[in-house]
Amino acid sequence: MQSDYMSAWDISKGIAEKKFSAVEIVESHIKRIKERDGEIGAFLTLCEDEALAQAREVDEKISGGRPVGRLAGVPAAIKDNMCTDGIRTTCASKMLEDFIPPYNATVVERLLDEDAVIIGKTNMDEFAMGSSTENSAFRITKNPRDITRVPGGSSGGSAAAVAADMVPVTLGSDTGGSIRQPAAFCGVVGLKPTYGLVSRYGLIAFGSSLDQIGPFSKTVLDSALMLEAIQGKDERDSTSYRGEYQKSYTDSLGKDIKGMRIAVPKEFFMDGLDDEIAASVQESIKCFEGLGAKVDEISLPAAGDGLSAYYIISSAEASSNLARYDGIRYGYRAKDYTNIDELMEMSRSEAFGTEVKRRIMLGTYALSSGYYDEYYNRAQKFRKVLKGQFEDVFRSYDLILGPTSPVLPFKIGERNSDPLQMYLADVYTIIVNLVGVPAISIPCGRSTEGLPVGLQLIGPHYGELRILQAAHAFEQEIKLEL
Amino acid sequence: MKISREDVAYIAKLAKLRFSDEELDRLTREFETILTHFHSIDRMDLENVDLDKVPVDQQSVVRSDEKTVFEDKKKLFNNAKSMRETYIQVPKIIE
Repeated sequence: MQSDYMSAWDISKGIAEKKFSAVEIVESHIKRIKERDGEIGAFLTLCEDEALAQAREVDEKISGGRPVGRLAGVPAAIKDNMCTDGIRTTCASKMLEDFIPPYNATVVERLLDEDAVIIGKTNMDEFAMGSSTENSAFRITKNPRDITRVPGGSSGGSAAAVAADMVPVTLGSDTGGSIRQPAAFCGVVGLKPTYGLVSRYGLIAFGSSLDQIGPFSKTVLDSALMLEAIQGKDERDSTSYRGEYQKSYTDSLGKDIKGMRIAVPKEFFMDGLDDEIAASVQESIKCFEGLGAKVDEISLPAAGDGLSAYYIISSAEASSNLARYDGIRYGYRAKDYTNIDELMEMSRSEAFGTEVKRRIMLGTYALSSGYYDEYYNRAQKFRKVLKGQFEDVFRSYDLILGPTSPVLPFKIGERNSDPLQMYLADVYTIIVNLVGVPAISIPCGRSTEGLPVGLQLIGPHYGELRILQAAHAFEQEIKLEL
Repeated sequence: MKISREDVAYIAKLAKLRFSDEELDRLTREFETILTHFHSIDRMDLENVDLDKVPVDQQSVVRSDEKTVFEDKKKLFNNAKSMRETYIQVPKIIE
């Protein structure tokens, strides 16, 4: 599958230099998706006509000598929880099965401004709730590295589409690891930026204090390129970062990382971590030392306890965000009802899947009178303590390093009967969302069975450049062929 | 951590969701497991954490209060299930 892969970087350069046309690139990628996606199931919607029309516009700009954006002609796919004007956006839920947004999410606008071509919408866990993409109401996505296994989740379709070379770049969203964990499972690069760096306008809300959009790609350079395109202040998102943005990330890749201080929390290597993942991460540490980084073991005591606080906070926010789906203005409406309450109850009960209902229930419980202090408030206090511990580490270190996931990609159907077991797959990623800092997952090795292992690099707030530089240096050093 | 089925049924009512008896039993069991796990943070000292204290440089951002017109009304109403003229139709709510 490697032979026909081209990075977004090479595509946009090649198109600008007229080595090939945007139409040729888009046609070849559509052909590939049609050949491969029957087996993988990464896409929910393919926008063939729209994509070709966009590609023709890019080619016209180039032949007319007009300037083009930095993603000119690059085919990109979008997770199906980001609004695309006139293109069905389902959140992989029966609730939004026929929802056609009247506007574009800011990230979609920004990709289009850079002349990227939106080629389709990718599968996910319903409303981004899950770690395996098995919670989609429409289809199961298979891991391109081993089709008997899950691609991770919730952005499993976006990760699989990149891993199977159907598109060079995709967008995902990450509330508790939904970019990084599928990136690790599928052996691709996945970046969750700092909370606020990328606008959430038009991202269908799950946990508003945790949600963040970010890219998937095969190379660190492509992720840097995508971040340059999608980041930036947005008046329509009140949590959008108001400070100065790093103008370029791609310019600064390739710098050496001598003297970089990296912390490895010992809590990341406790019970439940797969031996092969642990070994692979230890090898990666040696590689970073070889590159001149100074690596120390440290303690981040709250790191192992984040899971419950995360599920309380994210479910509480979800229960509030999903209250809007009442069958009135848009979304699924039940057929049989006698009054307004029944209309709402029946619509919600018929259209939401099991995991979504479970989280709405858990969140409603945590916010209900009498339990608010015991759960929600305590979870917020925990979050504050965790933030303090991260700040302490970042006073002395540039990055925190560890595994992305404690487990290798599991078999389809293996974990979905026990919600707590499924939640445990996110133990190393959720704390990053609680703190709001950026993190990347990059492939760092393979298990004996050939399954990819992901390495997570976490930086301080707005420390994307440092993360990308370290990830790039590591990627160039290990030259991993998956 | 003991959670009763009645508690769960009450929460379902608040959340505007309906469940069968079997589903309620299953949810009750799952809640117990998840909330018991939550108490793992009990060993942390959270008593003195003050949630009202925020950094001085952090302030709320407000959008300027200016109206804008969404031109394509048809596109907006496209997702409504039943319309009467320019209104969304719902079941009668006043007896």
